[in-house]
Amino acid sequence: MVSKVLVANRGEIACRILRACHEAGLATVAIYAQNDADSMFIELADEAVLLTGNTIGETYLDQQQILSIANQTGADAIHPGFGFLSERADFARAVTQAKIQWVGPSPEAIEKMGDKMTARITMRAAGVPVIPGEEIEHEDETDALEAIESASHRVGYPMLLKASSGGGGKGMRAVHSPEQLIEAAMGARREAIAAFGDGRVYVERLLTGSKHVEIQVLADRHGRTIHLGERECSVQRRHQKVFEEAPCATMTPELREAMGQAAVAAAEAVDYEGAGTVEFLLAPSGEFFFLEMNTRIQVEHPVTELVTGVDLVREQLRIAAGEPMSCGPLMMRGHAIEVRLYAEDAANNFLPAIGPLAVFRPPEGPGVRLDTGVREGDEVTPNYDPMLAKLIVWAPSRDEALQRMRRALDEFIVLGTTTNIRFLRELCDEAEVISGRTDTTTIDRLWPHGWTPSVPRSIEDAALMAAAVGESAGLHRTQHQASKGPEGPASPFSTLNRRFP
Amino acid sequence: MHHQFKSPEGPIEVTIARDGGVWRLGDIEANPMADGRLRMVGPDGSVNFAHLAKVGDVWWVHHQGHTFKLERIEPGATDTDDGGGLTAPMPGKVLQVLVEVGQSVEAGTTLMVLEAMKMEHRIVAASDGIVTAVHFNADDQVEQGVELLSLEDS
Repeated sequence: MVSKVLVANRGEIACRILRACHEAGLATVAIYAQNDADSMFIELADEAVLLTGNTIGETYLDQQQILSIANQTGADAIHPGFGFLSERADFARAVTQAKIQWVGPSPEAIEKMGDKMTARITMRAAGVPVIPGEEIEHEDETDALEAIESASHRVGYPMLLKASSGGGGKGMRAVHSPEQLIEAAMGARREAIAAFGDGRVYVERLLTGSKHVEIQVLADRHGRTIHLGERECSVQRRHQKVFEEAPCATMTPELREAMGQAAVAAAEAVDYEGAGTVEFLLAPSGEFFFLEMNTRIQVEHPVTELVTGVDLVREQLRIAAGEPMSCGPLMMRGHAIEVRLYAEDAANNFLPAIGPLAVFRPPEGPGVRLDTGVREGDEVTPNYDPMLAKLIVWAPSRDEALQRMRRALDEFIVLGTTTNIRFLRELCDEAEVISGRTDTTTIDRLWPHGWTPSVPRSIEDAALMAAAVGESAGLHRTQHQASKGPEGPASPFSTLNRRFP
Repeated sequence: MHHQFKSPEGPIEVTIARDGGVWRLGDIEANPMADGRLRMVGPDGSVNFAHLAKVGDVWWVHHQGHTFKLERIEPGATDTDDGGGLTAPMPGKVLQVLVEVGQSVEAGTTLMVLEAMKMEHRIVAASDGIVTAVHFNADDQVEQGVELLSLEDS
């Protein structure tokens, strides 16, 4: 039984989970750091408890503090979302030992998949194909560099260095020639130590021209482990996904079945429970290789939800409560695309941007879903990840989904903070994206020297004029009051009424 | 009325005329609306709506799917941009300093590595030059906009 869920996360994913809990009739507890005191997710929770401490480590990563809040508030389940403590086996174990239901797989499953080297070994044993490469267990820098150098001769170039505790592109480096190896290895180790406290880095062949295709799985305590088809997330920048879709444009029913069965075998090999994602590289030859398993809900889960009709977060809650999952046989319908809106300057090497969300007006209309944790008036700060929102569209076909995404991005208005909206919009016009022949090098190949927007002169002129008119007409003094409704120009009668009740 | 905005190629001058409630620039027409938007009528009669917001001296304009950040130059202000400065794009920490004073560098050379928002960012020379000053050491915290190094074109 689960009746009260503590959401150990913030921002967009906290909002997503809190809403699912409300729909399921579950009470909710949010936790927040002081610098999140005005954030939207707090308002979506029945109770919100302030975390003491200043850094992320002292707040959202403070296991003891979160556990004691769960006890004080009587929460009987903890949903970790993604990032933060979601893949920390020690936390999952502490939660379980405190007799609180962990919304996710067992600590043992997290451990086996969380350490990427152990995961490779486990998958190999379960008959799931892994990328050619070598595990390197040395923790000492000198020994590790020596072993990496030695492995590089056997693995061959180009290769990928990956942090064993890594994720989200941190602690990862592509190496194209031997001269780059040592600097890349040191950089990967430095980032891995800073981000995960574990500098172990292993070596994999870099399979260029491959697609990143991942399979969503669900497993319950009633003996069912199923897959929900694939998502393609090849369009990445610095190993951060940018554009995700379901289904994969080049998928065949036979390949889906083979990859789905491999994903189910991967999940069963670690007695998986809940929602998880098995990531594969799909080579141009049609061969696929296990990359890693994410033992949590994923950022891009909405595209699967839109094409399968399964509410993944509701299923997570159901499974955590010990109920059987509610999904029937896999049915995929239409096409869904997600783009990640970041506060970043795409034209300036994608540097993170900060500032106020003076205007934040997302698109609406048929087939458009927005998952966000911000609203107009919020401030984008350097404290957390610069992802502002996920814009997801669904349409009957891939072509129509792309058309809908273009329309939605054109309607999306964010002023006050630089975003990647225009970059995403132009991405939708690229031939590779239109044909679906994207691979993990698409962005680097399309814009090897960085991206700059192509702006028609007439639109730029009109924008300059608009700014000049804004200044002359004093629009900055009127617009916000006017757009807020009740405080705007009111009828003289209601004004009279208020003044002289 | 006359306004100036900054651009990478130098100041842009914009002169608009008022005709009753309507503003004109050449054959573009702009009508302010009650909610602060502008109804823009193009030379061909096409109608689009511009959204605006002012943050500090910067006008943010969204028009036809494009977003513009237009910094207004106050009348009488002098342009103090000295060029050649390499500033911190974000608040963060210096991870590595890869050059020293007096060193000649080529365009594209990485000069410094910063960590901001958990990612590494490279500060790269925009042109060939000689490093004339290095203002921070590894592990120093830097504020957004501070000059990190100075480079003199060679």
